[in-house]
Amino acid sequence: MRALSADFWSGLALGGLGAYIIVRASSWEYLGPDGPGPGFFPLWYGIAMAALSLGLMFSSLRKQDPDQIDWSGAGRAFATWFALLACVALLNVAGFLLCLAGLTFFIIAVMYRRPLKVAASAAIALAGAFYLIFPFALGVRLP
Amino acid sequence: MGKKLALVAVLALSNTVFAQGFTPTRPVEAVVHTGPGGGSDLLARAVALMIEKEKLLPVRMQVVNKTGGGGAVAAAYLAEKKGETHTIGFFTGVWLTNPLTSQEAKVSLKDLTPVARLVLEPALIAVKADAPYKTLADFVSAAKQKPGELKQSGGSITSRDNVVRQQLQKAGGARWQYISFPGGGERIAALLGGHVNMMVIEPAEAGEHIRAGNMRVLAQVTESRLSAFPNVPTLKEAGFNVTPVPQVRGIVAPPGIPRENVAYWEGVFKRLTQTESWKKFLADNQFEDGYQNAAELTKFYDEFTGQMRGILQEAGIKTVR
Amino acid sequence: MGGFAVALQPFNLLWCLVGVALGTVVGILPGLGPPATIAMLLPLTFLMPPASAMIMLAGIYYGAKYGGSTTSILLNVPGESASVATCFDGYQMARKGRAGPALGIAAIASFIAGTVGVLGLMLVAPPLARMALAFSSPEYFALMSLGLAMVVLLAGRSMVKALLAMLVGLWLAGIGTDLFSQTSRFTFGRMELLSGIDFVVVAIGVFAIGEVLANMQGREAAKALPFPKGVRNLLPTVQDLKDSRFAFANGSIVGFLIGVLPGAGSTIASFISYGLEKAVSRRPEEFGKGVVEGVAAPEGANNAETGGALIPMLTLGIPGSSTTAVLLAALVLWGFKPGPLFIPENPALFWGLVASMYIGNLMLLVLNLPLVPVFAQVLRTPVYILYPIILGIALVGVYSTSGGLFDLWLLVGFGLMGYLMRKLDYPSAPLILGVVLGGAMERALRQSLMMSDGSISILVSRPVSAVMLSLAVLILLIPLFNKVNTWRLRALEK
Repeated sequence: MRALSADFWSGLALGGLGAYIIVRASSWEYLGPDGPGPGFFPLWYGIAMAALSLGLMFSSLRKQDPDQIDWSGAGRAFATWFALLACVALLNVAGFLLCLAGLTFFIIAVMYRRPLKVAASAAIALAGAFYLIFPFALGVRLP
Repeated sequence: MGKKLALVAVLALSNTVFAQGFTPTRPVEAVVHTGPGGGSDLLARAVALMIEKEKLLPVRMQVVNKTGGGGAVAAAYLAEKKGETHTIGFFTGVWLTNPLTSQEAKVSLKDLTPVARLVLEPALIAVKADAPYKTLADFVSAAKQKPGELKQSGGSITSRDNVVRQQLQKAGGARWQYISFPGGGERIAALLGGHVNMMVIEPAEAGEHIRAGNMRVLAQVTESRLSAFPNVPTLKEAGFNVTPVPQVRGIVAPPGIPRENVAYWEGVFKRLTQTESWKKFLADNQFEDGYQNAAELTKFYDEFTGQMRGILQEAGIKTVR
Repeated sequence: MGGFAVALQPFNLLWCLVGVALGTVVGILPGLGPPATIAMLLPLTFLMPPASAMIMLAGIYYGAKYGGSTTSILLNVPGESASVATCFDGYQMARKGRAGPALGIAAIASFIAGTVGVLGLMLVAPPLARMALAFSSPEYFALMSLGLAMVVLLAGRSMVKALLAMLVGLWLAGIGTDLFSQTSRFTFGRMELLSGIDFVVVAIGVFAIGEVLANMQGREAAKALPFPKGVRNLLPTVQDLKDSRFAFANGSIVGFLIGVLPGAGSTIASFISYGLEKAVSRRPEEFGKGVVEGVAAPEGANNAETGGALIPMLTLGIPGSSTTAVLLAALVLWGFKPGPLFIPENPALFWGLVASMYIGNLMLLVLNLPLVPVFAQVLRTPVYILYPIILGIALVGVYSTSGGLFDLWLLVGFGLMGYLMRKLDYPSAPLILGVVLGGAMERALRQSLMMSDGSISILVSRPVSAVMLSLAVLILLIPLFNKVNTWRLRALEK
């Protein structure tokens, strides 16, 4: 069984979304007394989405050598994403400045393997700069 | 010993004094449901300015935007801030009608502390200046002859524009179409461009077009004639026995706050409505003074939601609460 | 020209400068936009004469369009929704080491188009406003369809993926409460989704955060982009200027005309201008890889749009966009009555404003061009400092528009989506196009059908919409022509 390419999986995912849209759209009014109802548009683009996704999946199965995605660097990207996620999750608890400092520290120290001192000082400087610029000078609220 | 006793007595007295009268000690948060620049936001900023000018608060009032859900997010935010004494919210009619039609809008005025009703926003029924309708009766009878053909531009179907339409349709036995446009500018453009026949418009928006001779006003959606429009009949005077559903704006506060807190806010806003700047503000924006204190507001809320529920259901709009 | 007398007073010049400078800064910051800034400055404006205040606020309006291009080009972060189209080629130019020329061309195009916009405002305001009123839902629908047809031109390698991205964009645009029936669509029971997803959240998530994540993959701690030294590389070359000739005209005219229409904004203007430029270009396959006219066209369009948008605002009192709505409110607050009689009754204010816009555009050009090397220096910042800054700004920017944590979660989600899209080779331009146009297009279609009582013929019986729809169909057929051509060529080779 040949390995299924990434296109296949993304096509499948989008096809799933399309199917979901179609199901939800059919529960709404298709054609109301005054014109198309809320279900009209979503139904059609849901169908288009599902159809195109099927097309994508088929073409990916038929291709001789599917483009392989290079996943090697993905781990780092995901790690950063999780750090960002954690940052947002902790906003209520720790406040923006702390979370930003934490995120900065993480990126510099872990991702780029710079010395910890550099990371720490950059994190504090950045948080300070943000505090000065945003709430202080511009009056913009921080999360 | 006597001095100490005196000190304790003074402290005790001052404590009770503070307990009786609430005074804000840090900036007051004024929550609005629109983004910066939106209707509620501008109103809140104007009010904050007036309060500062008239020195009605010892602290600053800061406008906080909590957008989303047509008011639902702002209302929920206030509901969460139970017992918070330094927060108030500016509500509009949407806060009252949203919970009726929207499952997700869980917080209604009943879950918050009403403080005051500030303004009533009147409206006019307008057509393009070269339209063949000289009175409201003209329009309605034209609609009666061609059911479903005439068109009105307006906001969402739960907005006051459509409510007026429902009431007029019922009273006049006619039927005409309603086309929603998300922005006031687009609604006016639709009318002036001849794509719709009639619209319900606010006096402030209409003023200039009327002066320039582009629009004609058939009636006003008010109980009694506005001073700015002495020659325009009200709905009742135009022959339609319809009680206008008011479009209101006012102040609410989070639930669970002490009595003194509510009384304090009531006092601030009552004094605001008595100032010259407020009167000028009302005149400039062509609002009507609709001041009601907290108790009256509570009663109004019950009447209003009952009325709206009836109208919405008659119009065939699903109500969830 | 009494207007210049007003505009050239030192006091007003100062406020003009303040306005455009502030506008540039605001444009650079993603999320914080002109409407918010203007609203926040309103109390301040009571302390000055209305003419000066208007000059300053207008300066913020078009100044922001200049600033928005800066982050788009340097960091692939659209500072403003109108700057998204600038990201396509602008960022690629920066990657090729041509950030300076990109910024320079953006400034020049913005200046030319901004000036054209003011000229238009001055010369044809009232008649154009009347014509704009004839534009209604069927024409809007046709315009949006034309915009969406541009997908075809933005597709890149896989048309299927581009279309899928666009459809996802349409879906995202549809999330929220349906205007006509008040039914909640795709809100998953969350009240924060009742009013839909703010475009800014999607754009910043997909572009900025997606970009940062994608760049995390490499292990080099090197600088982000090559930064060639030497002044020659910092400004557009003569060749660049020649290449952009058509783009200057294109951006100015398209932007201005679309700006006049209430409701159609600078985002759609910049996309259509970009698409048009690509369609008539001699080297369309290079678009998206860093061609200078791909920067000039959208940048010009979004600046000319400001001039156009002021027309319905000043001649009819109808706001065409959120910024003009706030400006209108400001006028009312100061005691004016915007409407058809505004210009005849307030000539000093109007002409002073117009004159100040010429001056303001000039100021911005003078401010921005020398700053190009300074901005380009941003690229020298070590990547590991730059990225946290970008992430931080993104969070603050989004929070400032919505005031809620939910949008930040959405932002993070869209960041992941942006990253995956890059990995899986799905183009992001069609997605943005779908998000921007989806809602308006659906509304316009339904409004049109309501106006015509259900008959679709309204879309083709009106001349303007018929023309635009035919154009859209033609554009959609282009790839078909190309395919047929390739077959024929292959057949000839055999």
